[in-house]
Amino acid sequence: MMANRAPMLRIGQQDLKCRQGCGYYGNTQFDGLCSKCFRERNDKQRKRQKAGEDHETLKVNTSSAGGTLERKSLQHSLTTGRANKAKKQPEKDEPTTTASTMPRKKFTVPAVLQKTLKSKFPVAAPQPRVPSATESQFMLQLRQLRIPDDGKRKLKSEIQRLDHEIRKYMNNNSSKNVDELSELVQNAYTRFADLVHNDARFEIATNEDREIAIDFFEKVVMTQNHNLLFSPYFTTDEECDIKVQKRIRQLSWITTKHLDCSIDEVNAEARDLVYNAISELVGIDSYYSPQEKLLCTVRCCRHIFELLKRATGGPASADDFLPALIFVVLKANPVRLHSNINFVNRFTNASRVMSGEGGYYFTNLCSAIAFIENLNAESLGLSAEEFDAYMSGEPTYSTPWESALLACESLHLISENMKCMEQLQKRNSVISTGIKEFERELIEFQREITEKVDMVMEKAPLTLLPIKTPPFLISQARAHLAQDGGEAAAGHYQSNLRSLSQQTLTVKGKEQILEDSQLDVGHTLALKDTSVSSVGRLSPLHPNLPQPDQLFASPIFNYTPFDAVSLLEETSENDDVLMLGTEFQGGLTNINYDFDLSDQSGENSVADESKLNLDEFDPLAQQRNAPTTHLDETTLLDTTTDSLIDSDVPVSEVLLPSPLKPEVANYRGFSNFEIPSISCNTGDFSSLNQDVNDPVAPVQINK
Amino acid sequence: MATTPRSGGSSSGAAQRPNGTSQNKSCQFKLVLLGESAVGKSSLVLRFVKGQFHEYQESTIGAAFLTQTICIEDTVVKFEIWDTAGQERYHSLAPMYYRGAQAAIVVYDIQNQDSFQRAKTWVKELHKQASPNIVIALAGNKADLSNIRVVEFDEAKQYAEENGLLFMETSAKTGMNVNDIFLAIAKKLPKNDNNPGTVIKPNGNESTQTTNNCCK
Repeated sequence: MMANRAPMLRIGQQDLKCRQGCGYYGNTQFDGLCSKCFRERNDKQRKRQKAGEDHETLKVNTSSAGGTLERKSLQHSLTTGRANKAKKQPEKDEPTTTASTMPRKKFTVPAVLQKTLKSKFPVAAPQPRVPSATESQFMLQLRQLRIPDDGKRKLKSEIQRLDHEIRKYMNNNSSKNVDELSELVQNAYTRFADLVHNDARFEIATNEDREIAIDFFEKVVMTQNHNLLFSPYFTTDEECDIKVQKRIRQLSWITTKHLDCSIDEVNAEARDLVYNAISELVGIDSYYSPQEKLLCTVRCCRHIFELLKRATGGPASADDFLPALIFVVLKANPVRLHSNINFVNRFTNASRVMSGEGGYYFTNLCSAIAFIENLNAESLGLSAEEFDAYMSGEPTYSTPWESALLACESLHLISENMKCMEQLQKRNSVISTGIKEFERELIEFQREITEKVDMVMEKAPLTLLPIKTPPFLISQARAHLAQDGGEAAAGHYQSNLRSLSQQTLTVKGKEQILEDSQLDVGHTLALKDTSVSSVGRLSPLHPNLPQPDQLFASPIFNYTPFDAVSLLEETSENDDVLMLGTEFQGGLTNINYDFDLSDQSGENSVADESKLNLDEFDPLAQQRNAPTTHLDETTLLDTTTDSLIDSDVPVSEVLLPSPLKPEVANYRGFSNFEIPSISCNTGDFSSLNQDVNDPVAPVQINK
Repeated sequence: MATTPRSGGSSSGAAQRPNGTSQNKSCQFKLVLLGESAVGKSSLVLRFVKGQFHEYQESTIGAAFLTQTICIEDTVVKFEIWDTAGQERYHSLAPMYYRGAQAAIVVYDIQNQDSFQRAKTWVKELHKQASPNIVIALAGNKADLSNIRVVEFDEAKQYAEENGLLFMETSAKTGMNVNDIFLAIAKKLPKNDNNPGTVIKPNGNESTQTTNNCCK
C-alpha cells in the first residue's frame, strides 16, 4: 500500500478517477471506484443478499449464542462463516476458497465483496495486486478479530471511508490546515467508537473486542496513511525537527548533575539501561502507527524506571523520572522528534494520550521536549554566564572533582577503544597472514601441478596410434600398385591415390574391428609415413620402400612439404625454449591426432585443417616411435632417410609440384587476410621461408 | 458509608472489569498529583495503591503512573494516577499533565511552609487552567510528624474551604487518611456517563450494554 501510493501520484488524473465517472477519485481498494459509488454498489449487493442471509445469521447469532461465541473464538470463524453462507447460496457462486482469494485482497474481504468481484471478473481477470506484508498482516488481524462478520464488514468500510476522506483532504487544492485534518481523523475515531459501542452489528462482541476493533481501525488507517499524515508538507514539523535536533546537539554538555537526576553515568549496568532506553526512543521513528510509537515510548520509560529503581532503591516517582527522561532524550537526540510527537498528538485517538500508561509516558516525553526547547540557565540551576559558556562550547568545569571524573571517563573510553583497536589489529593480522599463507599455497599448488604433469608426461609419454589400415587393404593396394608398377606418372598418382583412399574409407567404416588387431602394421606404416613426410621431398614411390605402404600414406603425403616446414619451425621453437607449456600443448593436440589422421586419410580432406594436425604429427610420431618401433622398422627408417637424400631430384620432379607448393603459397597469403578459422599457430609463417631451405631437421629428438 | 476502599483486597488492575453484578457502573478517572518534590506525593500514592510504605514490592517498577480501582456503593471507580515532577524547574510543564484530568491532589508537607505556598500556586493554576469541573483535594502530608508541623491545620482547612477544595491531613507512613482522601474524591466525582474532560470513555459509556452482552 505504502509503496503503491507514491507512484500513484504520478499516474494521470484520469486513471485516478472513479470508474463510474462520477468525477471523484477512485481507489484500487474500492475496485477502482470512489468510496461513494463503491458503497452504493455494495449496498445494492448486500440488499440483494440480505433477505436470505440476514435471516439466517440472526438466527445463528441470537438463538445459539453459546455456539456463536464458541465459534467466534476459533480462528477460522470467518472461514466457517463463509462456508455457511456459500452453502446458503449455492446458486450464487461456488464456495470461495480462502487460500486463493484471501491474499489477493487487501483485507479480509467480506464474502459479499468477494462475490461481487468474482461475478464481475469471472475467472480470467484475477486481481494482479499482491498485498504488501503489512496488508496481509492486517488481513490476518482482521480475520482474527473476535467481532461478528457484519462488524468486520462495517469496520472495513469505515477504514476505507476514513482512508478516502484523508486522501481527499490531502488531494484537495485548497489551503490545508493540519488541525482540520486532525479533527477529521478524531471525528472519525469518535464516530467509529460510537458505532462500535452502539451498533447492533457489534452487539455480541465483548468490550475488550470492541476496544481491539477500535485499535485496529486506528492502526490500519494510520499505517496506510502514514506518509500523508506524518509531518505533512504544509506544517513546520520538519523545521521543528531540525531545530530540536540542533538544540539537543548544543546541549550535549548537560550531565545528570545539571538535571538533578540520579542516573549513575559511570555504572556499566546503568549505562546499559540508558542505552536500552535510548534505542527504544530512537526506535519510535521506525513505527508507523501511533499505538506502536506509544508502545515504544512505554518501553523506553520502563527502562528508565528500571534504572532509577536500581539507583534509588525503590519505585521512582515523577520527581526522579522526568529528569531521567530528559537526560535520555538529550543523549538520544532522536530523529524527527517533533514530527513523531505531533503525529501522535494529532492522529491518535485522543483518549490514548490523555489516559493510560502510554498516555502518561507520552505526556512525559512531550514535557521533556518542551523542557529542552525552553531550557535556560535557570532551569539548570546555573548562572547565565556559566550557561553561556557551556552553550558556546567552552569546557568549564567548576570543580576539580568533576573534571577529574570527566578525565577518568575519557581515559576509560580511550582504554576501551584501545582494546577494540587491538582486537581489530589482531583480526587484521590474522587475515593478512591467512592471505600470505594462501598465496604461498597457491604457488606451491602450481608448482606441484607442474611437477605432477611433468612426471606424468615422463612416465606415460603420449603414444600416437598410427593410421590403422586393415591388412587386406594393404595387400589390395600392394596388388594394385604392383599392377601399375613404377610407371605411374605424377598425374596418375594423385587420382590413384584418391580412389584408393576412398576405398579405404569405405572399407574402413565397415571393418573397423580389424584395425585394432592390425596395430603393428599400422605402426610400421605410420613410421614410414612420418619418415617420408619429415624429409619432405620424399617420393612415395621410392624403390627402396614397399610401394603400397607409400600409397596409403598418400593423404599425408599431399602435405608433406608443409609438414616438413612446420616441423622445422617447431624444432626451432623447441630449441629455444623447452617449456612445459608448449610440450604439454603439443602433447594435447597430439592426443587427437590419430583420429584426425585416420579421418583425413579417409576423406582426403581439406588442406588447412589436416595440415595443422600433420604439422605436429611428424615430430611426435617420431619421438614416440623411437621406443615403440621394432628394430627392423628403425632400420627401415634409416634406409628411407638415406634414400631421401639420394632421390631428391626425382621426388621434386615427379611428385611435389602439383599439390604442395601452391598450398604453401596460398597458405601464407591467406594467413594475413582471409583465413578465418585457423585454430592453431598460424602466426609464424614468416619463418617458413627460411626454414624451408634448411636441411632436414633432426626433428625433436630432444623431446 | 458502606464502601470498601480496596476492592476485594485485590491490588491494582485486578478489578478493572466488572464481570458480574449488573447494577455496577464503572468509571475511570484521571487523577494528577501535584506538589513540590519531597513532600511525599509518590509515597502517598504507593500507600494508596499498594498499601506499602518503604517496603517496596519487586514488581513495582515506578510510582509515577499507577492505577487503583475502588468500589463506592454501586460504582467501580478506577483511578489512574499521574505523578508530576515537583521541582520548580519543571513547574511549567504541569499543564500537560493535568490536561484532561478529572481530579487532582495537591500535596504539601506540613513541616514545610514553602511547599504549602507552592500548593497554593498549584491550586490557583488549576482553577485557571484545568478543566472547570476538576475535583481538587489538598493533602497535608507527613501528618505523623505533626509535632514539628509548620503549616497549621486550621490555616490549611480555611484555605481549602475558601477555594472549594477537599482537605485532609494525611500520612503515607501510617496510612492515615490516605484511602479516605481518595474515597472522598471518588465520591465527589460525577459518575454519570458524560464525564467532563474525557473524550472517549468506553468503559463508562458502555456500562449498561456490558451487562447485557458479556454476562451470558
